[in-house]
Amino acid sequence: MAETAETRLARAREALAGVQRRVGTTRETWDAPTLPLAPVLDQVLPQGLRRGQVIAVAGSTSLMLALAAAASEAGSWTAAVGLPSLGVVAAARRGLELARLALVPYPGAQAAAAAGACVDGMDVVLLGPRLALSEADRRRLASRARERGAVIVADGAWTGAHVTLTAVGSRWHGLGAGDGRLRGRDLTVRVEERRGGTARLVTVPLDGVGTPVRRGTGVPAVPGHVRALGGAA
Amino acid sequence: MSVVTVVRRAVLWVPDWPVVAAMTEAGLGADVPAAVLHGRGLVAVSAAARAAGVKRGSTRRLAQRACPELAILPHDEGRDSRLFESVAAAAEHAVSGVEISRPGLMIIPADGAARFHGSEEALAEALVTAVAEQAGVECAVGAADGLLAAVIAARSAELVPAGTSREYLAPAPIGALALAAMERVQREEVERLASVLTRLGIVTLGDLAALPFADILARFGPVGVWAHRLASGEDLAPPVLRRTEEDIAVEHVFEDPAERIEQLVHVAKEAAIALDRALLDAGMRCGRVRITARTEKGQDLERVWRTDVGTRAGAFARHMTDRVRWQLEGWLSGTAGSTTGDKGPEPSPLVSLGLVAEDVVPLGSEQAYLWGGVSGADSRAHRALERVQGLLGLEGVLAVAEQGGRSPRDRAHLAPWGQEAPPARAIAHPWPGRIPDPPPATVPPVARPALVLDAGGAPVAVSQRLAVSAPPTWVRLEADPSDERARAANRHPSSGHVGHVDGPVWDRPRPVESWAGPWPVSERWWSEDASRQAYLQVALRDGEGAVIAVLLAYGGGEWRLEAVYD
Repeated sequence: MAETAETRLARAREALAGVQRRVGTTRETWDAPTLPLAPVLDQVLPQGLRRGQVIAVAGSTSLMLALAAAASEAGSWTAAVGLPSLGVVAAARRGLELARLALVPYPGAQAAAAAGACVDGMDVVLLGPRLALSEADRRRLASRARERGAVIVADGAWTGAHVTLTAVGSRWHGLGAGDGRLRGRDLTVRVEERRGGTARLVTVPLDGVGTPVRRGTGVPAVPGHVRALGGAA
Repeated sequence: MSVVTVVRRAVLWVPDWPVVAAMTEAGLGADVPAAVLHGRGLVAVSAAARAAGVKRGSTRRLAQRACPELAILPHDEGRDSRLFESVAAAAEHAVSGVEISRPGLMIIPADGAARFHGSEEALAEALVTAVAEQAGVECAVGAADGLLAAVIAARSAELVPAGTSREYLAPAPIGALALAAMERVQREEVERLASVLTRLGIVTLGDLAALPFADILARFGPVGVWAHRLASGEDLAPPVLRRTEEDIAVEHVFEDPAERIEQLVHVAKEAAIALDRALLDAGMRCGRVRITARTEKGQDLERVWRTDVGTRAGAFARHMTDRVRWQLEGWLSGTAGSTTGDKGPEPSPLVSLGLVAEDVVPLGSEQAYLWGGVSGADSRAHRALERVQGLLGLEGVLAVAEQGGRSPRDRAHLAPWGQEAPPARAIAHPWPGRIPDPPPATVPPVARPALVLDAGGAPVAVSQRLAVSAPPTWVRLEADPSDERARAANRHPSSGHVGHVDGPVWDRPRPVESWAGPWPVSERWWSEDASRQAYLQVALRDGEGAVIAVLLAYGGGEWRLEAVYD
């Protein structure tokens, strides 16, 4: 019996839907799962902390911790691989739940296996700058993260990262000439998205004692606070 | 408070137990005058010291004046109850069950035991003999109806005939009520009550028992009721008997001292399986496992490991095998304990291995988390970490906690994942001189060298009186090891070296934008690891617009990079 056009079409649709369910190709389903993100970073990642992403952070450990903080507070597990000098107190103050934070300070030659195991089991994985990972290892980790819905926050460059955040400048308040103490700072971050087109510069008030916490993605108060750099990065 | 039938009790009393326990532990003979000091006064005095005129409650100086050769021992409630266990075990040779009401005092239901031994006199004799022989302690035994009468009878080693407790108690002073108070808080309450009653003219227990019950309740509340009941020779609760249970434990003694890990892998597996089977046979599961080992040199090593609920289903033995193996590897190589702060044991062959199950609960009644059970994500994360621990070994995965301390490094507490190690220092303590918040995000495990220079390029020093020799103008940090340019510049003759360079490779000097300090921190001056440092917070200009803030410490004439606020 010959198949009718309708049944063939229905079968094709079903197969496509199955693929979409598995891989998540459509925009809507891919957008959906996000982890909580601190409101301070709304400007940096307006789309939220998406599961399955790789975020490369250059030049600021505090920013890495801030990315993981809200998710950890909400019950996610965090692993820090290859970060032997992570400030534990800073992590706690940023809001990371230390009971759900594990350090793998010196993975050595087993870096790929250790990071892979962490990506399998944890929600947010912080990767240190000097890990013995080849390009192929990195690609494998990224696809594993996409499959498991983990977020990789890598210190240093990462080819093919969804978002690259570079700390280009920071201004500290509170220090004088022999007096005062560090009180707060404004961190300027260059945000480059893989498919975002232009790079943006965002100033984030980190560590402020009384700094207002900005919510939402409304127009910033100071004009020029967020400005587009010409051309794609 | 319910009225219970009056139970005939025998009370075993060891006079001056705290001092007896302290002397046993200190290895002093019974004839040495000794006393236990707690706070400002003596809480217990040995018989020899009492004969020399030392009184309970007197100060150390008064006691030493009365008896110069008096041995003054520290107070330790833990030691008192620990050592009393051996007395209780000795008494259990004569009777089947005892209640330890406080260290030094034991209650035994007398009826059955007296029938077994023939009479109460025989029971008392059996008890005194058993305790003297097995535990080496002199004790007195008395018997009466009701708790208070029995306690008072024990002090004079009397046997009060049945039904005469009320008459026996009547002439006793009201202060004797405190003897039946078993806890310190209760004792204080009772002493307050006794002093009020004395002032009211009620000086004996007989006077108190003669008062109407309802009036006592109205005037003195529950404590009054308690006192009235006891003074009337009644009881408040039947004795609660101690029940000894065997630990669920396995022990393995090596035929030859084991010094290679290959010998141990098999033993670790067998011991873990044996413990698993012992737990299953008893229908129990455990929350923690204590791993103990004895080295050839006679050193006892032990560590406690958490085992989680999720691994119960058949995986317990495998889970435990890994932990035992890691722990033994650590002990054999002498690395265990390096992260927890205490010195690791000297590497030495092991002669025996033991596993003891702790936090034992019946199978199926495990306590889950306070809110909900173990979530899927939690057990997934635990499994992932266990896998990494399997790859990298015990110390490959660390659990972190915050602890008290002054420098950022001191405030982090690291311990191998899954191992029970409480933070060494309390956060709640004030920690004067602590580096103020915000805490730095990068704290190198070891402080790195740094150079602080003044405007002319000369090193800056901090004097004893915390004066900075010149305002810091330039700071040189260690260069990144992958920075070839810095390395090449360092090799260049213009940097002042010729040929091979020993010291650190310095990065280019960075100008100081602003700074604060010096903040002095002088820690542990009484001990070997004393440190005296001055801290400096410095903001450095790094390229255009970028500023890095660092925490520098000065001590022993050198600057070190303690942390980076990046």
